[in-house]
Amino acid sequence: MSHSRTVVGVIGCVALAAAITLAGCAPREEPSRAVTDTAALPPPVDDFRHEAPRGEARRIVSLNPATTELLVALGAADRLVGRTSWDLYTPAVRRARDLGNGIRPNVEAVLETRPDLVILYGSEDNVIAARRFRDAGVATLSLKLDRIGQLERAALLVGAAVGQEGRARVVVDSVHRTLDSVRAAVEGKPRLRAFWHVWDAPIITIGRGSFLHELVEIAGGENVYDDVSTPSPRVELEDIARRDPAVVLAGPVGARRIRSEQRWRAVRAVRNGRVLVVDTNLVARPSVRLGEAAVSLARLLHPGSL
Amino acid sequence: MIAHRAWHWPAAVAVLLLAAALGIAFGTVRLSLAEVMAGAVGTGDPLHVTIVQALRGPRVLLAALVGAGLAMSGASLQGVLRNGLAEPYLLGVSGGAAVGAVLAYAAGYSGYGLLAVAAFAGSLTAVGATVLAARAAGHGARGDPRTLLMAGVVVGAFANAAIMIALANAPGNTVRSALWWMMGSASDATWATGAALALMLSVAGGALVAGARDIDALALGDEAAAALGVDVDRAAPRIYLLASLVAAATVAAVGLVGFVGLIVPHLVRAAGIRRHRALLLAAAIVGATLVIAADTVARVALPPAELPLGAVTAILGVPFFLAQLRRFRA
Amino acid sequence: MIEFRDAVVRYHGAPSPAVNGVSLQCPAAQVTAVVGPNGSGKSTLVRVLLGRQPLAAGTLHVDGTDRRQLSQRALARLVAIVPQREEPAFPMTVREYVALGRLPHSGAWRAETPGDRDAVARALTRTGVEDLHARPTDELSGGEWQRVRVARALAQDAPALVLDEPTTFLDVGHEMALFELASTLARGGLAVLLVSHQLNLVARFADTMVLLERGRVAAAGPPDAVMSARVLEAVYEWPLVVIRDPASGAPAVVPLRRSPS
Repeated sequence: MSHSRTVVGVIGCVALAAAITLAGCAPREEPSRAVTDTAALPPPVDDFRHEAPRGEARRIVSLNPATTELLVALGAADRLVGRTSWDLYTPAVRRARDLGNGIRPNVEAVLETRPDLVILYGSEDNVIAARRFRDAGVATLSLKLDRIGQLERAALLVGAAVGQEGRARVVVDSVHRTLDSVRAAVEGKPRLRAFWHVWDAPIITIGRGSFLHELVEIAGGENVYDDVSTPSPRVELEDIARRDPAVVLAGPVGARRIRSEQRWRAVRAVRNGRVLVVDTNLVARPSVRLGEAAVSLARLLHPGSL
Repeated sequence: MIAHRAWHWPAAVAVLLLAAALGIAFGTVRLSLAEVMAGAVGTGDPLHVTIVQALRGPRVLLAALVGAGLAMSGASLQGVLRNGLAEPYLLGVSGGAAVGAVLAYAAGYSGYGLLAVAAFAGSLTAVGATVLAARAAGHGARGDPRTLLMAGVVVGAFANAAIMIALANAPGNTVRSALWWMMGSASDATWATGAALALMLSVAGGALVAGARDIDALALGDEAAAALGVDVDRAAPRIYLLASLVAAATVAAVGLVGFVGLIVPHLVRAAGIRRHRALLLAAAIVGATLVIAADTVARVALPPAELPLGAVTAILGVPFFLAQLRRFRA
Repeated sequence: MIEFRDAVVRYHGAPSPAVNGVSLQCPAAQVTAVVGPNGSGKSTLVRVLLGRQPLAAGTLHVDGTDRRQLSQRALARLVAIVPQREEPAFPMTVREYVALGRLPHSGAWRAETPGDRDAVARALTRTGVEDLHARPTDELSGGEWQRVRVARALAQDAPALVLDEPTTFLDVGHEMALFELASTLARGGLAVLLVSHQLNLVARFADTMVLLERGRVAAAGPPDAVMSARVLEAVYEWPLVVIRDPASGAPAVVPLRRSPS
């Protein structure tokens, strides 16, 4: 091709690329890092940097199991009109419409319940859904609840959106108190090196980026993978054996697998029978039951301390 | 041999408009045609207005443009490569776009505009690599189209390897997002994206239609085309590039949607259209209709979940290849 | 009409040139035939004419203009070339196929003109395939397909016609028909360049023969001059005699057996 055609072609491509960027970029939103502001008044923005709604929401759609639990704790379960497939605690919650797993929700189905508040899980997949809800005039709150530090902020924001700030404060304080008491109970005890088994194929554990890591530390344990910063790193069995944890923590299914599979015997803790079963429902997410979760974990790691 | 009739054209347009209307009416919330009209002009239930104007309207437009683009791209490539199994992603477009998108996700960028640019850039890079590889293998520009196809396979293999490596150690949501993107979806459509794709289609697609007589000649062979007055060394690369640009633009907008560019040209030829100018235009109309229908099926097949668009069009591949198999007399 | 002067063509990576100093002329109203063994450079000359292969040295003029100064379309309006092999990827009717011969004359957006339709009709008639006009191209016999291809070239309405090995798949009857057609077209004023390995048919119908051997002209002139046993034996490396065909009066080659029966 002649040079002039190539130049025109390149300019054309760049122009079109710019057009597509502009088209898709209006307003660009990105999930922000958690702001663990210790002041009583949380900054009035959610995790997509949008103004957090305040009010007395009457028809709530919660697409985040952690916030559903919060709503139950705040006494707002009867105002729930939409939930995720995983929210099955109480009949009041189950009565709300099942709207999927919370990732990339079906916008039409959500809007059909005519909510005045939608609470989304603040991951990148949901950026567009958040925009759609806001464009449709529905108050939207997008929260990432992956770290213990994010719980307080989330609770206060949710409380403000449903007119239950006071109760939210109480819930948060109660969780903090329980966590503090657990910390106190295990203080002075030797920290138990622990490996947390999340998944089997591939083997996935927890890193520093996960709240489970925080829980383990609070409950008197030491995550053998605390040098990895991502929340759910993939790891190799040989590496686990090399790090030589004192205990292995796993859910019921995982524990059964570990105890029965030949390859896991490479890990000394497994050979010594030190596989502890964790109640996965309790520790699935950082929420109002965090205190209970920390207590149950501490009982596993340091029996008799609580 | 079948010759197409003049009434085929208005009929095809009518079917397209009908598909568009149904596409806007059907979904999780079923709307009557009256409600669709009301929503379109902004009256009636605000939920319906939102659905028609903000959700389904842009989606149907984008689906139509994607279908038109892929069909035109496929028809052009089948003609110039003289192969009825050529399709728009042949020259590395899909592999390159996927690598671009996966890298963007892995780097933490997932804004829609950035993803589109990354995918587009990835496509262009891959097509460039394919052309360079084919040139290097063919001792100069006068290569056999098979060299180009093989080069496309090589680049595609490389892209697959790159994607697997990038996803192997990526966190869960990156893998999920990348996979979702690769399966194609019109769910994130906006009017702005539609406008951008419309612009690209009118420029590149228009150029393809304008050069359609060259494809008529090239479909006979390089020597025959030269004998009929086509500058083969200029025309063929131009068509590859335009077809790939159109395909890359559709991928940037909705991810990977297969089989449309492969099947629609055959359908149009079966209806008796053989000259490429008419073929490209007819393919655009039929392709638009097909993808609107596929998007509608994607939305209503398994409520409340949504099937990926690419999954629905992939199902079309089955009857198509069966038909090809039957026609293949050994 | 078509004139090569001292043409030299080298293929990439080949030890010796495929065409090494060939000069030949193809004037109007005559049949000029290029003959020679495989690899002698015959088809290379057609490729140079098509523009698919450049000249390393020498010149090629078409209707007085240097080929390099002609656009591909301009060439197609001056010379209609029927390459050796062709198979459309997608079948179409014979009429549609022959109509493609009008491409060098049509604009990007112009529809078919009455002039186009006439040219197509004439081409179909002159090659005797008008009855086949609605038949799909993938349902033609070898002979029919060859004639249809010539029809497409005729639809181009060019003053010169080049046929590269046009009788490859033809039986005796169709071979004769094709050579007769070439002769008739030449009588009608066309400059006809015929590349063929059919020595005897060429000798009967061509006005001028050019015998190529390994890229050079071994002999050129009227058939009587070129068809000499000594020259042909040397070029084809096979024992043969040249007789005068009693039926046609033209020289004819009769190859002899090397191995006993």
